[in-house]
Amino acid sequence: MARLRDLCHTLRSKNAGPFQITFDAIFRTEDEFQRARESGVFTPGNLAQVLRYPGQDIKVVFYPAGKAIKVTVPRRAPSGSFDDTDVFGCQQHAPLLDLDIL
Amino acid sequence: MDEMRCFCASGQLGHGIPRPAFERGISLKPDYIGADCGSTDIGPYYLGAGTCDGHPDIIRRDLEMVLLAGRRLDVPVILGSAGSAGGEPHLQLTLRVLYEIAQRHRLSFHLAVIHAEVDKSYVLNKLAANKARPCGRLHELTAGHIERATRIVGQMGMEPFIKALDAGADVIVAGRACDAAVFAAMPVWKGYDKGLAMHLGKIIECSSLSAEPGGRDAIMATLDRDGFVLESMNPIRRCTPHSVAAHSLYEQPDPFEVVEPGGRLDMTESRYVPIDERRTRVTGSRWEPNPVYTIKLEGVEKLGYRYFSLGALRCPVSTGQAKSILAKVEGIVGELLNGDFDPRDYRLKFRAYGVDGAMGDGETVRAQPLEIMVVTDVVARTPEIAQAVCSVARYNLLHYFYDGILATGGNLAVPFVPADVSGGEVYEFSLYHLIEVDDPCELFPMELIEIREGARRG
Repeated sequence: MARLRDLCHTLRSKNAGPFQITFDAIFRTEDEFQRARESGVFTPGNLAQVLRYPGQDIKVVFYPAGKAIKVTVPRRAPSGSFDDTDVFGCQQHAPLLDLDIL
Repeated sequence: MDEMRCFCASGQLGHGIPRPAFERGISLKPDYIGADCGSTDIGPYYLGAGTCDGHPDIIRRDLEMVLLAGRRLDVPVILGSAGSAGGEPHLQLTLRVLYEIAQRHRLSFHLAVIHAEVDKSYVLNKLAANKARPCGRLHELTAGHIERATRIVGQMGMEPFIKALDAGADVIVAGRACDAAVFAAMPVWKGYDKGLAMHLGKIIECSSLSAEPGGRDAIMATLDRDGFVLESMNPIRRCTPHSVAAHSLYEQPDPFEVVEPGGRLDMTESRYVPIDERRTRVTGSRWEPNPVYTIKLEGVEKLGYRYFSLGALRCPVSTGQAKSILAKVEGIVGELLNGDFDPRDYRLKFRAYGVDGAMGDGETVRAQPLEIMVVTDVVARTPEIAQAVCSVARYNLLHYFYDGILATGGNLAVPFVPADVSGGEVYEFSLYHLIEVDDPCELFPMELIEIREGARRG
């Protein structure tokens, strides 16, 4: 078992336009990327619990050339609106840091 | 021409171009100097208020660097999304600074100005003709959204830039533009592959962010018929196959394809091969044109005016029940002001930093914090209402008698007075929609201006 943060050299969130937030987990090695990919953790159903978004709103893309997994969700509130807490969307990654990867 | 040297001076002109890397790039004699000046990433405020994210003095500094270098090398200078949001006020501010610089250095050049602000009547017609749809998952466009919008811009593709190059422009200053198109226009104009040109544009518009370690330094892409080679102009930054491939993830929902004006960039077959430790060659990227050309519109609506106030909870008796205290005070304030202000005229929210300030409803961790910064946040129809509600809210929080209170002198450590601070105008993105157009340039009128020895002619 390892924490996701220990397998990644980059683990971030960021706006993808004003209405979406995208999460990137970029792995240090090909093996670690494959390990995370096959762990079963990166499913919309599981991420829905971790990130607190409805599963049908969550898009997961595996990107071998970048040794990366990308997760994109619609924002809870548009960037900069009254209910927004993070204009750049760059601090929403925290719940992913300690995900257990088999 | 066997190759083209495509140079990005800055991914966000107006925030200070790092000089050594810029000078190194210029010494390699690029075929054009491009810079992106804006984004929606900075939020809705600048588009609504008509102001720039960068300070005018820094915009002047950066613009002077690119303009003087471009004239010295006699190569085009291409600027997109002028003044952060690329609307008319942003474009005009950028041009004022540009004219000052031209005058001071007695520069001579042909200037093309490309406007990107869109008339509401035009958008209403597109809506009526059923030629508008959301860009991604968001609300359908309505006439109300269009009518209430403070400002709407269109994101131009490469075609208006190509038109300007055709017209003999030495300097192009464009309003809101697709970032990649700023850098793809010149190669495509010279007959290079569109897929490679757009991919190259997508990467270099972020300056050296695609390198390891990433940074804001200028970057060069050398393009030939089959691919392009990336090199950061700061020797400590290495463009590796991994760093460049991983950059396709940045600020995009999908690393395999990017939807751009007029088509999509397909990176499924893109290959990243090292040339040496610091340079990577990219091949295989393809451009697939859409049968119908679409333009993305960006628009904002004014929500009102903000006042806010800061104060910290430190007493463990209050920090342990902070969310409940804040909810109760919100209720008290609403009741107290009922009859004085129409509840539809203001919104009040306590943001609790230390509890869930950064993540709101997305926060999964509950921990007992040492202290909690409470931001009393009010957005109202007028600045007067915002200030009044803010003062009442933070005062009622200061002297709220919560369960088990021991410290009856006040609940907040207030860092400074006056405690209620103006946050200015508040906007919200209300348009992020695609419209179908007949001509990629129809939304983007161009002006050609001759500048001779620093003076505008005609």
